This record gives sequence, C-alpha cells and structure tokens, in this order.
Amino acid sequence: MKKLINDPARYVDEMLEGLVAAFPGLSLGGESGRCVARAQPARDGKVGIATGGGSGHLPLFTGYVGEGLLDACAVGNVFEGPSVQSCIDAIKAADRGAGVLCLYGNYGGDRMNFDMAGEMASADGIECATVLGADDVASAAPDEAEKRRGVAGIVFLYKIAGAAAEAGRDLSEVAGVVRRAAENTRSIGVALSPCRVPTASEPNFRIGDDEMEVGMGIHGEPGISRAALATADAVADIMYERLAAELPLRPGARVAALVNGLGATPLEELLIVWRQIARRLGQAEVTPVTPMIGNYVTSMEMAGASLSLMVLDEELEALMAAPASCPFWTVSP
Amino acid sequence: MPVLDGVAMTISAADLADFIERLDTASARHEQALNAADARLGDGDTGSMLKRILAAMVAADARQSDDLPGAARRLAQATMKETGSSLGTLVATALMTLARQAGSRGGALAADDMADVTAAMADAVAERGKASAGDKTVLDSLRAVAEALRTGPATEATAARAARAALEDFRGRPCRIGRARMFPERSTDADDPGMLAAALLLDDVETIDAQ
Repeated sequence: MKKLINDPARYVDEMLEGLVAAFPGLSLGGESGRCVARAQPARDGKVGIATGGGSGHLPLFTGYVGEGLLDACAVGNVFEGPSVQSCIDAIKAADRGAGVLCLYGNYGGDRMNFDMAGEMASADGIECATVLGADDVASAAPDEAEKRRGVAGIVFLYKIAGAAAEAGRDLSEVAGVVRRAAENTRSIGVALSPCRVPTASEPNFRIGDDEMEVGMGIHGEPGISRAALATADAVADIMYERLAAELPLRPGARVAALVNGLGATPLEELLIVWRQIARRLGQAEVTPVTPMIGNYVTSMEMAGASLSLMVLDEELEALMAAPASCPFWTVSP
Repeated sequence: MPVLDGVAMTISAADLADFIERLDTASARHEQALNAADARLGDGDTGSMLKRILAAMVAADARQSDDLPGAARRLAQATMKETGSSLGTLVATALMTLARQAGSRGGALAADDMADVTAAMADAVAERGKASAGDKTVLDSLRAVAEALRTGPATEATAARAARAALEDFRGRPCRIGRARMFPERSTDADDPGMLAAALLLDDVETIDAQ
C-alpha cells in the first residue's frame, strides 16, 4: 500500500502543521508541542473538555476540537497513546476555572498517561473528572463491560459533553450525563483490509481477499470472528443484531446512529450499509435521529465500517441537537 | 561490565547505561519475532516499540548522570518523551521505581539489592497497568526474576533463566488481561509478547559485548 508522506518520523507533526494551517480555529502548542486546542479559548467558568489518543484516526481525536465539542486534545504518535506531558498540556489548555472532564477511549496507554496527568493537574489546583469511552462490544463480554475499548461511539460522547459544558453545567453534572450517554452507547466494526502505520514496512495484520474480520479493533487488534466476505446487507445485519442484543431498541425508542467508515471505504458503500440499518431500525419501530454517515473515526487506510448506536432520552436528544462546530462536523441550530 | 556481576559490586550510572545498550542491541535482533508474537494477540508492534524506546534511552546517554537515581530518571524521561504507549509508560514506571529504590539506599545499589528492587518494580508496574500475578504478562516475568534473584546467585544468568522459565511455565495458559483474554483458545498457545521480550532480551544481554 502506498502512502503520501515525506518522512515517516515526521508524519504526526507535519499532519498537525497542516491541520492548524487549514483550520485557523485550532491552535497547536503546549510544552509537548502535541496539544491541539481552540485558538480562541472558551469563556471563563465553562467546564473544560479534554481528550487525547493516538494519531491515525482522524477526524478523531483532534478534529473534534471546537465550539460545543472539545476544548483541547493530546496527540500521540500513530496508534500510540499521548505522552503524559501532552495530556497535562491538554488539561491545562481546557481549564477555564471550572474543572476539566478528561474524556477518552479505554486504552491502557491513554488511561495510564491521563491518570498521571490528572494527578499532576490536581496538584496544580485543577479539578479533573474522567469518563472513558468503552463502546466496542467486540472487545469484552457484557459482564466485564468496563474492560471494553472505546471506538466510534465516543463521537456521541464528545457531543454530549460539549453541549452540557456549553449549557453551563458544573463538572459533576457534565460527567454524570456523559456517563449516562456512555452506558447507552454501543459500537461494532467489520474490517475488510489491513492498515499500515507510516513507520512500518508491513501491514499490521493480514486478511484474505475473500475474508472479513468481525469486531476488529481500530489498531488491527484481532476481532471476534473471521468469516467469508458477505454482502453489505449481511454485514449490516451482523452489526445491527450484535448491538440490538445489548441495547433496549424497543418500539418507540429513538437513537443516534453512526455508520462510520474506517478510512478506505467509499461513502457510497457506507450508504448501502445505512440503507439496511435504517430498514432494520424501521422494522423494530425505532427512530434514528439525524443519522451520521461518513468517516468519523478511521484506522488509516483500513477498509470496512462500524456501526454505533446511542439510545436517547429527552435530555440526550436535546444535547445531541445543540449547536456545535469543529473542522469535521457541524450541528446547526 | 555486567550489572549483576557479584554481591560486592555497586551498580553505577555507567553500568545501567551499558545494560541498556546491550538491551538495545538485543531488541534489534528480536524486533520482528516480537512483532509477530504481538500480532497474534494485539496490534503487532511490541518489537518495534521496544526498539524505539531502547534507542531513545541510548540516545539519552545515562552516563551523563552523576549517579544511578539520576541515570534511571533520565532514561524514564527519554522513554516518556519517545512514546505514550502503554509499553513505554510501564517501562518508565519501572525506571522511576529503580530511581526511587536507589535513592532510598543512598544513591547506590548492589547486586544483592536487585531482588527487592525488581519486586518493587513489579509492584509499580502492576499498580499502573492494573495487571495481576498470573494474568500472563511481563509482570509474571518480573516476579519470577525477583524470586530467582532472592533465592539464587544475583546474576544476569539467574535473571535470564527465570525469565525463560516463566515464559515456558505460562505456555498452555490463557491470557487473562487485555484483548487477548477474549480468545483463550488462541492466547493459550501464544507467548505473551512482553514475557517473550523479557526472555529473549535477558538471554542476549549476557552474550552481547558492550559497545
């Protein structure tokens, strides 16, 4: 697989330079040089929302810094957690005097580094709370759901967190509603092809031309089953049924829905998948609210798609609908 | 000069630097094997990550530090600057523990201290990484090394034998942490990449001449 790069070792830094050059609403800085924040910080007294994670997943994570969403993001190397220093930078950049919610995916490196950064920020008088995105049903059984990894469903959590903070809620209230959103969110993905990190000479896994892997992680971690490549409808059914087994998709329910491309799948194919998901939701008498179809959380050039669903209540639906704006996603009033 | 050369020897910053340089050489030799082991259970980068971390530590040159605690802190900082990966953070955690252990002993360590120091490093890694004994991680290698150094001669050969024995002892047992625990039938036959790294690198350290 070919890549359009200059120097593998400069991949992330050059990407960040391009990002802030393209979007003047973003700034790049911190002691680490690996913190993306709003160029115009939010008003004093607003709860800050900080996130972080490895590169290679754009628009996640840095692409969601903006009004009504995130205040700052710690940026790691491709598929690596952000350094402790960049996590400290993100917490400090997000802090407007009302505490900071650290909202990131449940991965070992991210968690350890944000834990250390949170301890150090607390020592500096910044109150921190943490909510983890842990929506990937393929990464742990329901009885140990706390071990699940975070994947595309975290985009919903960013929206809920950003809207609650903009509405002026305090840190415990913001953390509380985001936790409820997380409890109501599930995702699963199906990969058709591998990806390759810029510094590696080989793809990070192999998959046959006629195969797909159900439940593969967004770094190429093994999934729950490998099967013969199926039609778009069959893949959609596999994903839908896996989520429906865990979510209360009762008649009359309303859901936020995201069909996410992993990087190398055309939008057309994602729409074909959505067509079947919408049909299944309709059969269950569940209403999707403003479905999102596109590349929201990618894995370099991995082909495939994921489905995320968040069951809504009135409050969550209102927060999802609140205005928000960032380089890759706008929600208009 | 080997780090664990005999009971009377004091471990210096230069000894630690030398040990890291030999690990660095060994990591280059085993990079692909470790990546392959990790690809069976995780995201396939353990060998490359370890090589990067060790290269960053060699570049940081622990010999420039005045004493062992300073050298260990210098290596921890180089690691944390290089990567935010879980492997890097756990290596840095172990090095910070080494620095504290040496500091609490007046800034120096003898070979006979290494059983306690290794046990303390294992405790810190467990606390940071939330792994337990028996989960089939590098923590089990560290605990095995600590126990062997306590009961046998405190040498690198003892440490290498213990890491190898731990690796073999855990073959046939499933991973109990991380994504690998989701497919016990596959993880039972596979070596944990961290345990494999401990065994391969400690084996090599004895035989590689310091640069």
